[in-house]
Amino acid sequence: MTADLPSFAPALPEIVLALGAMALLMLGVFRSGKAYTQVSTLTVFLFILVGVLLVAYVGGERSVTFSGLFVTDSFAIFSKILVLVGSGVALMMSSRYMADHGIDRFEYPVLIALATLGMMIMISANNLLSLYVGLELQSLALYVLAAIHRNRNRATEAGLKYFVLGALSSGMLLYGISLIYGFTGTISFDLLADSVKTGEHAGIGVIVGMVFLIAGFAFKISAVPFHMWTPDVYEGAPTPVTAFFAAAPKVAALAMFVRAMFGAFGELVTEWQQVVIFISIASMIVGAVIAIVQTNIKRLMAYSSIGHVGYALVGLAAGTEAGVEALLVYIAIYMTMTLGSFAAILSMRRNGQMVEEIGDLAGLSQTNLPLAIGIAIFMFSLAGIPMLAGFFGKWVVFWAAVEAGLTPLAIVGLLASVISCFYYIRIVKVMFFDEPAGNFDADKGRAIPLVIGVSAVLHSPVSFLLISPLIAAAAWAAKSLIY
Amino acid sequence: MTLTAGAFYLFAFVAVAAGFLVISARNPVHSVLWLILTFFSAAGLFVLMGAEFLAMLLVIVYVGAVAVLFLFVVMMLDINFAQFRKGALQYIPIGGLVGLILLAELVTLVMAWQFGDKVADNVTAPIPAAEQVENVKAMGAILYTDYLFIFQTAGLILLVAMIGAIVLTHRQRAGVKRQNISKQVARKPKDAYEMVEVKSGEGIGSASKKG
Amino acid sequence: MVEAIYSLFGVESPLLYLTAIVLSILAIVLPLLISVAFAVYFDRKIWAAVQMRRGPNVVGPFGLLQSFADGLKLFVKETVVPAGANKFIFLMAPMITFTLALIAWAVIPFDAGMMISDLNVGILYILAISSLGVYGIIMSGWASNSRYAFLGGLRSAAQMVSYEVSIGFVLVCVLMAVGSLNLSDVVNAQSGGFWNWYFIPFFPIFIIFFISALAETNRPPFDLPEAEAELVAGYQVEYSSMAFALFFLGEYANILLMSAVMAVLFFGGWEAPIPALDFIPGIFWMLAKIAFGFWMFAMVKAFVPRYRYDQLMRLGWKVFLPLSLFFVVFYAGIMVAFDLLPSQG
Repeated sequence: MTADLPSFAPALPEIVLALGAMALLMLGVFRSGKAYTQVSTLTVFLFILVGVLLVAYVGGERSVTFSGLFVTDSFAIFSKILVLVGSGVALMMSSRYMADHGIDRFEYPVLIALATLGMMIMISANNLLSLYVGLELQSLALYVLAAIHRNRNRATEAGLKYFVLGALSSGMLLYGISLIYGFTGTISFDLLADSVKTGEHAGIGVIVGMVFLIAGFAFKISAVPFHMWTPDVYEGAPTPVTAFFAAAPKVAALAMFVRAMFGAFGELVTEWQQVVIFISIASMIVGAVIAIVQTNIKRLMAYSSIGHVGYALVGLAAGTEAGVEALLVYIAIYMTMTLGSFAAILSMRRNGQMVEEIGDLAGLSQTNLPLAIGIAIFMFSLAGIPMLAGFFGKWVVFWAAVEAGLTPLAIVGLLASVISCFYYIRIVKVMFFDEPAGNFDADKGRAIPLVIGVSAVLHSPVSFLLISPLIAAAAWAAKSLIY
Repeated sequence: MTLTAGAFYLFAFVAVAAGFLVISARNPVHSVLWLILTFFSAAGLFVLMGAEFLAMLLVIVYVGAVAVLFLFVVMMLDINFAQFRKGALQYIPIGGLVGLILLAELVTLVMAWQFGDKVADNVTAPIPAAEQVENVKAMGAILYTDYLFIFQTAGLILLVAMIGAIVLTHRQRAGVKRQNISKQVARKPKDAYEMVEVKSGEGIGSASKKG
Repeated sequence: MVEAIYSLFGVESPLLYLTAIVLSILAIVLPLLISVAFAVYFDRKIWAAVQMRRGPNVVGPFGLLQSFADGLKLFVKETVVPAGANKFIFLMAPMITFTLALIAWAVIPFDAGMMISDLNVGILYILAISSLGVYGIIMSGWASNSRYAFLGGLRSAAQMVSYEVSIGFVLVCVLMAVGSLNLSDVVNAQSGGFWNWYFIPFFPIFIIFFISALAETNRPPFDLPEAEAELVAGYQVEYSSMAFALFFLGEYANILLMSAVMAVLFFGGWEAPIPALDFIPGIFWMLAKIAFGFWMFAMVKAFVPRYRYDQLMRLGWKVFLPLSLFFVVFYAGIMVAFDLLPSQG
């Protein structure tokens, strides 16, 4: 009674990542806790290897394996590459901070690798069950990462808060899944799509289940009204961990959200569209308005990320292929912006101490002009000032919404970005026109200046050159989702 | 058979009653004990359904391991639960409101209860039929084939949980004397003492090298 | 066994079926309780013999009735409930211990077909019931409201949870060879003489099982929960009279149970050691094997000094857990490599 083994080929990058993470764990354990740098470097190389495998070996052909639990297609490849870049860059930026705070433990890169694995499984989920296990793998690793600075009360508070609320959201997700299963008899995306298509009336049970599912997703992408954890976790967690949180998991959760909506509930688009429009508007407004009163730059970035998720969801709300394409372009641009911004926050170090207040940036242009210019580019880009990459992102999502007939949504989005300009530009004003607050320490490593430099260049008007390949790639990815 | 029906009502009643007592018991240790009774009755219900493997797993895993740790923690906690609950009353209005809304939603749901058209097609019947194969075999046959991916990923989740527990709690304390049992066992007499010939009248002051 | 008794009635009725169940339970429990009394006696005798003492020799011929005299003494004493104790849980704890020690016997096969219930998941049932055993102890420790009792209860809980893990892995090895969780199937798989018994191919895990069984039943050298030198008598310290007797009976019933499980898993249950001896009823062999298991338990108690608590934990988690995990992989590998897996029915 030997059953045929499923085809491992489509999941080869995940398998390599899983085995690699376990091998690195062993390496770390046997080097008895002194192996941070080594494990961290090897993890980055592992990410590169996995990325190469994704592009060169798996490719964009849609293929399903593991009895329909796992799917890979161009959408998955695009999102996974983004996730790998986000995780890898966040990891590269971490070394100095972790060493300075005495938390340079080899478990940190291993946990990031395992979280990344969870994200890749989420992106490739073709069944609510594999979606859930991928999500839990990712979340559990993130809870630990949030609290990894365990001697600091803020960090443990962040970890605990994230854990409790995360468990609550998992509960909602599971409740939704069980309702969906009860009313359709399946949790496979393909069968679900089939079931809701043929049924004249989807049945209120499926819709309620779907709403619960969306609530669970909204928590994971920190969309309003499930965003309460974000500022506290962003502020409490160690800054490199926050950078990681703001980049990779957001991309993965959004990709998972998109796939679940289009892959399983494509026919119910009118039903979920209303919900997505609501959370999108709420996120944009809350992100823009509450950020104004923040003085801590990490909290500010938290509200900023809430707002940006709102903009990205505008693309999903459109419910069209162009919308998905716009969303992918948007999250790609957002991820580079946010990584650059956090790299800048990581270089805010004065007398060996990290500083996090906006006031600490005062007069940066006089003490460290390159950094000030970098931050200014990020802030303008986040605000969506024309000529910078952030502008293109907003432009494509709003355009997709207008094309889908959601002009009011686009207008609300525009208003929210105008409001948000206020606090982004305030930072620029503080840097360029206030009295200097003192020098920052020079960066010792090369990683952080490199990240700042590269992402600043990417967001400068140079991005004109890059935007069309990006849009082409996103179109390639989005195409595989709508069929 | 009446015996089965009687057993069902017994287990069901005990499960519900104990579940209620879990939340109403004043003493947290009692709550955990009632919780254990709930688990146990649920296991009984599983047996009645013919799912004896699940029943045993429920007892071994939840009652035998998880609840023991619960009990451990609750017994060790030094929290005045009476004080903890003092403020709870003021949340009754809002809690009741949320409950009412949920109830209303459930009622709407039940009123509009309607299964999708394809439920019958989608629910896959077990092959062979559940009566012809043992629980354990049936479960193993799909767990390691159709759901291999989930099974392995669940293993990774447990790995992360283990790493997390170690990262967050393990502390290397300096100055703790530890026993190295294999080293102790491998110790030979010659590592421990040395025979010295002491000439009478000279003492051992010059001869002893090791302590 | 239930069916056999039921058919004796010759009339069908649910009430009679219930009576048949009760009768078969009594047929197991009464002999069991009597053997517990003698087991205590033999335990003391063996212990005494190892230490060159005489042991109990006053009540009855050779002191055989000593246990009954002790039981009577306990029975007529007053049950003292400490003032600060949680009365309900305090009194529940010994009852739970005692009941659990008895109900696990439901699946033990004394001979082909001679058991109360031939469960498909018999081994898991035993594992489940023995994992419940910890509650009697932890409840008594907590309800006594005494430091010694509490510490004893906590120790015991940690100890039993730890060693259950390796017992579980040992069982997995045996189950792989049998291909079933049914205890009768386990015995049948070992039929045909002692060279087929599992203690030969599975000798290393048999050792692990035996030591874990010692820890699971809180027997010396793992009797930390009641270590009299540190904890007076651990979780039993506040108990007197029948409540104490119930603990005592439960403890010995558990030891006999573990011997019975060991007989079934590793010594071929009711099977005769060589096929020529098959004419002797299987129940004799089963009882003989239980007695042998108990003798080993008693000898260990007499020989081995008590472990220190950290050593106990180390042994469980750092030695037995990796070892038993290794053996699961090892035996699975051998079985796959040489195609020894039981055929799938």
